[in-house]
Amino acid sequence: MAHFTRRRFIQTTGACTAFASLAAVTPTAFGKQAKARVIVIGGGYGGAIAAKYIKMADPAIDVMLIEKNAHYVSCPMSNEVLSGERSIDSITFDYKTLGASHAVNVVHDAVVEIDATGHTLKTGSGKQYTYDKLVVSPGIDFRFDKINGYSAEVAKKIPHAWKAGPQTLLLRKQLEAMRDGGVCYIAAPPNPFRCPPGPYERAAQIAHYFKQHKPKSKVVILDAKDKFSKQGLFMQGYKKFYGDMVEWVSGASGGIIEAVDAKTKTLVGQVDEYKGDVLNVIPAQKAGKIAHLAGLTDDSGWCPVDQRTFESTLHKDIHVIGDASIAGKMPKSGYAANSQAKVCAAAVVAVLNGEAPGEPSYVNTCYSIISPEWGVSVAAVYQLVNGGIVGVEGAGGLSPMDASDETRAIEAQFARSWFRNITADMFT
Amino acid sequence: MRKTKTTLPVLIAGLFAIGMGPVCSADETVSHIRTASMLSNTCAGCHGTNGASAGELMPIIGGLEKEYMLTVLSEYKSGERASTIMGRIAKGYSDNELKAIASYLSSQPWISSPIKADAKLAAQGKQIHEKQCKTCHEEGGRVQEDEAPRLAGQWPDFTLLYLKECHAKGLRCHPRKMGKRVSKLSSDELKALAHYYASEK
Repeated sequence: MAHFTRRRFIQTTGACTAFASLAAVTPTAFGKQAKARVIVIGGGYGGAIAAKYIKMADPAIDVMLIEKNAHYVSCPMSNEVLSGERSIDSITFDYKTLGASHAVNVVHDAVVEIDATGHTLKTGSGKQYTYDKLVVSPGIDFRFDKINGYSAEVAKKIPHAWKAGPQTLLLRKQLEAMRDGGVCYIAAPPNPFRCPPGPYERAAQIAHYFKQHKPKSKVVILDAKDKFSKQGLFMQGYKKFYGDMVEWVSGASGGIIEAVDAKTKTLVGQVDEYKGDVLNVIPAQKAGKIAHLAGLTDDSGWCPVDQRTFESTLHKDIHVIGDASIAGKMPKSGYAANSQAKVCAAAVVAVLNGEAPGEPSYVNTCYSIISPEWGVSVAAVYQLVNGGIVGVEGAGGLSPMDASDETRAIEAQFARSWFRNITADMFT
Repeated sequence: MRKTKTTLPVLIAGLFAIGMGPVCSADETVSHIRTASMLSNTCAGCHGTNGASAGELMPIIGGLEKEYMLTVLSEYKSGERASTIMGRIAKGYSDNELKAIASYLSSQPWISSPIKADAKLAAQGKQIHEKQCKTCHEEGGRVQEDEAPRLAGQWPDFTLLYLKECHAKGLRCHPRKMGKRVSKLSSDELKALAHYYASEK
């Protein structure tokens, strides 16, 4: 923190407060007696929380949540659907309680255009809405062009299953139909991407299914990277439960996939070709489509934001949270999106009340279930330092390598309880 | 379905808290104190909105007694209390921040778990409670003191997890008199106790 004299503090404060009071009277009046209108786009781990927490902090703000789908299927825990440990229904939610309990106006529609200057947006059904503050939580989109022969169309045969729902069920169906002795290849994406430990938990969950039903089969991870999240813990778990059934090929060893031949079910690497029985191709990623359409992305394909408030550095009064945002050291995870949504909600409420956004606090916790009774986690507590989100030194970190089976069993149960709570935080 | 409602005083307190500090994004003029709601909301991802846990093994922490919660958080931070993950998380906050979190969460309403306890186990657990536990955990585990958390309405899986840990520690379990008593109980009796407290909403 820079030093400043008391006098300078008062001067600056005075100037800023004056500016803020001006800003506070500008919002257009909306129907009833709403103080201001906030529109949230996207009802996932970020958006649902932002909508709810804005309402909880200030019920006088009108909040509309625009979400394409009537049902939300969670990516976290979707790997357990692949192994058959849980049903897709157990990871499917609707917005009725969120809307009713917190007076959030949930609209199922797709946003097709944002006019940042005019503070308006248009939807696929032809509606137009005006906002004072817009929160965009669009998740990810795929860079299909990075893998020759792969596209949204081909993904209907060779699933990415990196957005849960029909894609998850398609991959599950293919695994069920596979012969014993078959090979499932998972092409893991380059950084940065949604859910860094996700592909590796997926390999474990698929191996868990194979071990019970198709014990001669294999799961091979073809990785674009040379290292990955919770690597030591995953390798330990693979060895303990699945032996040779799981194999990991690093990028340097030929794991980088450049093309897909859908007809022959072959992945083309830089060195070798891999012909498999089931292919799961998770392509490189970028911010969700609407972020690109609205000009909220930079050259990286992700959205630069003021990491104190998540307000876009490209467009005023538009905040971007979750996977789509560039959030310092935070990973693209469901918990991170939840935490960012709360920081963003507090900042939006503060500014709409003519006040300064407060000092933020963020957390990420991420569990992976390697076998039903064997879970591991990573956690971090974050703070803002010189405008960037960084982990608090001495805090956070991984589950210890030498933990007992009993501890791993508790962590697996905590993973499921975490899921109950974070989804209750979103949808109730 | 359970509803979690934020009480009006909390909302007002939250608004005032958010409102502290000057209106400017320039770092040098912003208060670096993080408000109690800002800090505590980060807990909800695992412990539920305002600490009203909806998940079996995750304890309900909203509405726990303040001093008790602060003790637990401080012990996680120092490593004195074993944990899978809370030690890693508690180290991310200053002592004053832990105080703010304990204060905020303790001011939330306690919302008992919706689980239907096993009636037979609960009846058996009640007898054990009457003999062994009620001097400290009064009124069916409803009364809270700085060393006695609320047990009534807690998720039985969590209560059982805690009792098992205490059982394994024996006399090293804190407080010692609890360790002494719990270590003499069988695992079935521990389960019965957990269901008894779950039945006391």
